[in-house]
Amino acid sequence: MKLTTYACVAMLAIFLMSCSSDDNTEDLTGETGTLTLKFDNSVGDSDFIFGDTYTKSNNESYKLTTLKYLISNVSITDSEGNTFTYPYDENIFIIDEANADNEGAIHIILEGVEAADYTQVTFGIGVDQERYNLGAEGQGDFLEEAADAGMLWNWSTGYRFTRFDGTYSSDSVTDEALAIHMGSVGNAIDNYREVTLDFPNSVRVREDASPQIHIVADIAKVFDGTTSVNFSDGYDQVHTSAETTPVIADNMQGIFTVHHVHN
Amino acid sequence: MVLFWPPLDLQGYNKVPKMKKILIAVVFVQYCLVSCSKDDGVGSYVNKPLSLEVPSNFPELVYDLENNPLTEAGFELGKELFFDGRLSSNGAIACAFCHEQTFAFTHHGHTLSHGVNGGIGLRNTPPIQNMAFQKEFMWDGAATHLDFQPIIPITSEVEMGETLSNVVAKLKEDAYYQKQFKKAFEDGEINSSNMLKALSQFMVMMVSGNSKYDKYVRNEDNVSLTQTELDGLATFQSKCATCHATDLFTDQSYRNNGLSVNPRLNDKGRFVIFEDPNDLYKFKVPSLRNIEKTYPYMHDGRFATLEAVLDFYDSGAVDNGNVDPVLLRDDNTYGISLTAYEKESIIAFLKTLTDNEFLTDERFSEY
Repeated sequence: MKLTTYACVAMLAIFLMSCSSDDNTEDLTGETGTLTLKFDNSVGDSDFIFGDTYTKSNNESYKLTTLKYLISNVSITDSEGNTFTYPYDENIFIIDEANADNEGAIHIILEGVEAADYTQVTFGIGVDQERYNLGAEGQGDFLEEAADAGMLWNWSTGYRFTRFDGTYSSDSVTDEALAIHMGSVGNAIDNYREVTLDFPNSVRVREDASPQIHIVADIAKVFDGTTSVNFSDGYDQVHTSAETTPVIADNMQGIFTVHHVHN
Repeated sequence: MVLFWPPLDLQGYNKVPKMKKILIAVVFVQYCLVSCSKDDGVGSYVNKPLSLEVPSNFPELVYDLENNPLTEAGFELGKELFFDGRLSSNGAIACAFCHEQTFAFTHHGHTLSHGVNGGIGLRNTPPIQNMAFQKEFMWDGAATHLDFQPIIPITSEVEMGETLSNVVAKLKEDAYYQKQFKKAFEDGEINSSNMLKALSQFMVMMVSGNSKYDKYVRNEDNVSLTQTELDGLATFQSKCATCHATDLFTDQSYRNNGLSVNPRLNDKGRFVIFEDPNDLYKFKVPSLRNIEKTYPYMHDGRFATLEAVLDFYDSGAVDNGNVDPVLLRDDNTYGISLTAYEKESIIAFLKTLTDNEFLTDERFSEY
């Protein structure tokens, strides 16, 4: 009898302990999954559409035929403050509106992401000084990809971080050429900027769960951002000027928001 | 792979103890495996480092060799690429087309160079020498890393007219490159990054530091300068060495030396880099090493002789709106006043900067 009683008590104790342990601690060690970043270009409240004319705060208007920018150094932080950084050699991407799907989203598919509950993403716009200073060693296969996409300067060295090509009009001009090809200039001008965005809710990366993060890039803020710029002041041709490129770089830092996430 | 087992008559075979047979078999198999794992001719990474000798009178190395260690195979690959016309769209314009060794890797006698489809550039071909000691390249400093510099001429429509992807595609079809990229780089990939690293290795090794002047300042081989050359050196140090400083003979800054603006070319120089009006008509101070061989002179090659250059400094400079204040004379004209003897002796001195060892160094020669 006593033995049975003790056995029952023991079993009850074990049962209670089991029930009271935290059901939320999964062991995710070694587990990885796929995370997709979807970049969606918009202009204010509207989806960006090639051929449409958009108006800036100063009534200058523009139409774009090319819309590209460079993203690198993507890292994500989980609910416990741990950061996963995507592997260096692959951690550089060209976001090209011409490659968008029918809903206007450009997909960046990150594989092998450590399973966790993530709460924010950080990425750089352009290429940082450290990667550039590594010379050819730091560029891997990306040089050709960038060259083919027109994101490598060919009259000087370095990457174009943005490529907004098209035309602009104003009260005094019609359909003048527009080219915003901002990048860093060697080590003299560092136009690399980083952005950190919080997720509205946790993003669950698991072996069997491939979440997507829908990031909206408001192109209107490239021109009416931290600073509002006038095409007539020389912002119609932004290449390597010490004056205009940092202004555009700073504006670029503010164009991104996380619209929603799919778990 | 066929194992040739030595013929043994069965009688004799059965008499060989079992352990000995196993030993023979094991040794034989091991031998075969070792033979098969040796280089079978396709090529694998060959880590034979190449050392770079820095002359004692030179400034510090600037190129970071840690990101691109020099190896024999990497250097050989860079050399092959340097002389390969397939880096251009018409197959004829190799780097060496404009960069000829005998002329310190400049385009002999050409003011401007012509590339594919008869394209003509804006600027005189600069020499390739002592690149490892410089931070920026091209007359306007547009190239801020040696690895990336070749992208400019390769992709320029008036020079080589190609794309990186296309060049790589051509290289991939060539049996020599298939082998040599594997020997030169651990990842063995034929891609533009490795191609550029190889070219850098070739260029980094091009050190010109054994001219008569070098041997004189380093007290080597009992070399002495003539009186005229010594007078020229003294005048040079007092009138030229502000800009043409150090034993590289350039302070690597960008300056406007009072050249008139050629209206046909309208070359704004360094201005294009930052669009800064203070940079108008400024060009990189060139090294004067091997100057005897790198005619014609200035960013657009307008002066055919060193005499013409010194005549310009003495009496030909104009106020183009942004001339370097260091050239302003007391009479408010721009220039450097030179007597006839000063000109003669400076030229005699400049000729001591010719490094014949460099100009004939077989390591950098095509044949």
